[in-house]
Amino acid sequence: MAQLAETYACVPSTERGRGILISGDPKSNSILYCNGRSVIIRYLDRPLEVQVYGEHGYPATVARFSPNGEWIASADVSGTVRIWGTRNEFVLKKEFRVLSGRIDDLQWSPDCQRIVASGEGKGTSFVHGSKFITVSSDKKGILYDAKTGDIIGELSSEDGHKGSIYAISWSPDSKLVLTVSADKSAKVWEISEDNIGKVKKTLTCPGSGGVDDMLVGCLWQNDHIVTVSLGGTIFLYSAGDLDKAPLLLSGHMKNINSLAVLKNDPKVILSSSYDGLIVKWVQGIGYYGKLDRKVISQIKCLAAVEEEIVSSGFDNKVWRHSLQGDQCGDAECIDIGNQPKDLSLALLSPNIALVSVETGVVILDGSKVVSTINLGFTVTACAIAPNGTEAIVGGQDGKLHVYSITGDTLKEEAVLEKHRGAITVIRYSPDVSMFASADANREAVVWDSASREVKLKNMLYHTARINCLAWSPDSSMVATGSLDTCVIIYEVDKPASNRITIKGAHLGGVYGLAFADERNVVSSGEDACIRVWTVTPQ
Amino acid sequence: MGVADHSKTTYMELQQKKVYRYVIFKIDEKKKEVVVEKTGSPAESYEDFTASLPENDCRYAVYDFDYVTSENCQKSKIFFIAWSPSISRIRAKMLYATSKERFRRELQGVHYEIQATDPTEMDLDVIRERAN
Repeated sequence: MAQLAETYACVPSTERGRGILISGDPKSNSILYCNGRSVIIRYLDRPLEVQVYGEHGYPATVARFSPNGEWIASADVSGTVRIWGTRNEFVLKKEFRVLSGRIDDLQWSPDCQRIVASGEGKGTSFVHGSKFITVSSDKKGILYDAKTGDIIGELSSEDGHKGSIYAISWSPDSKLVLTVSADKSAKVWEISEDNIGKVKKTLTCPGSGGVDDMLVGCLWQNDHIVTVSLGGTIFLYSAGDLDKAPLLLSGHMKNINSLAVLKNDPKVILSSSYDGLIVKWVQGIGYYGKLDRKVISQIKCLAAVEEEIVSSGFDNKVWRHSLQGDQCGDAECIDIGNQPKDLSLALLSPNIALVSVETGVVILDGSKVVSTINLGFTVTACAIAPNGTEAIVGGQDGKLHVYSITGDTLKEEAVLEKHRGAITVIRYSPDVSMFASADANREAVVWDSASREVKLKNMLYHTARINCLAWSPDSSMVATGSLDTCVIIYEVDKPASNRITIKGAHLGGVYGLAFADERNVVSSGEDACIRVWTVTPQ
Repeated sequence: MGVADHSKTTYMELQQKKVYRYVIFKIDEKKKEVVVEKTGSPAESYEDFTASLPENDCRYAVYDFDYVTSENCQKSKIFFIAWSPSISRIRAKMLYATSKERFRRELQGVHYEIQATDPTEMDLDVIRERAN
């Protein structure tokens, strides 16, 4: 039995030069935003509880609660609007194709009977009561009378925004207005009797000041002011106390392709996505900060131990970053001459790393290339034993080659043939007595390290390629994650048919897996979310 | 491909007298007929049955599955399983596939048929779902 314990949600998808729309429901104190094809519902007072609606076939653009809070209408780039219930497992009420192109915004009528949707626009507007304001890339905000449409005033340009204004939100009492802009600040305006808006307070985004700090979305709900930056960080301010520092919520925007658990105190879960972002999470708290690597590069493979992180991307380089407490220290870059396909660290002596490339492997010691060995077959995955004396290399043909390592040479000890597809991942168990391998043909196998005999077979319950594999700290369980969105946990002493299956763990596929402890499995996937599951063996 | 008389009578004993939990048949190439390879007593479990099937060779099997329905009735259904693992030799798969119809016709009273190409396709959950 596996139960969802925590979800570390993704952040809204953002695009440079375009605002995003976030909406919310004052009654349940929740906010709604879109990431990829999913609509995310987050509860502001319970940030670890997240609900995801994944029924759109195309990237979702906007979602809004109905005024009575019972329904949500969401729209996507294909012009389709779906109306679904907030309770009862998101049952679909209606779906229709409204426009032939991207829908930029939609609104409910106050009686919940009608919805208006608009597409492809350059400005945004917000209707509230008897007045409405439009804001635009010309840095101005204009007030209109909602009934006649006449221009009745504008936001003062004194102390105004210095960049395009991307979004606007009225306060619940209709006296104040919040705007966010590309100039990386949010401003609260007071609308006076003669309809001129004067800046009451400017909230600057606490960040490094780069492009990622441009603010693209905002929402004023009850006492909360929410602003969203281009980098995906959500800032929660208290409307009653604008001087108080905001609460930061962040996460990943793109596919999280690897997870590592560090045994520090508190136990930190590190996640990396292919856009090069590494985020720290702590169970029970959630977002714990980003790791600033001082190097902007994409990440394909990541391996981490307490003192350092080794990563590789889509170029020929392997990066080693030392970890000092919470932050990244200096980075060393090693050019290995070929694109790395898989990366493994010898856990007991982490300066030794094994990197697999197209036709062979490279052994690294610190930042030195010890040797580059051409193995004569197309290599896919690799793993090095914690003490650095043995390595297992998997090939495109499904064969596992076991080598003993002496200095800079490899001697082939055995070739194991059981898999019927390219090997995707190989992992040693923490006690090194076993190793597990998985392939693109949905099968996983557990082997005994000493005898190299099959220990657990018939682990064939996935319906698509296995992307990742993790061992429990006591070496009793193996978890596999696949493109079919499921995570399956097997107990090594029991037959494979006794497995525990978590269906639909991540929309789009599971790409990262790790055990936080004996009973908790952490998984990450294409939906940019991380979920912690509590497992109770039967 | 013929069917040995012993195969037919063994099946009848399973069906009518419930003498066996399962019967495993194999094709004897020399005699060109389907013969009984192994039988299991009613006390044996589904695990014993799956363990008796070879990992990389084809077989035919009949399994008597007992279960309790949602209305609390004790029921029993007979499953015919064509075991044809993808790792077995192509010749074996061809032989068993072409002879299956001829053999199947001799077995009257089979409720469900399953073709399994790996152990997950004849998992107990699959059997249970088909029966309900």
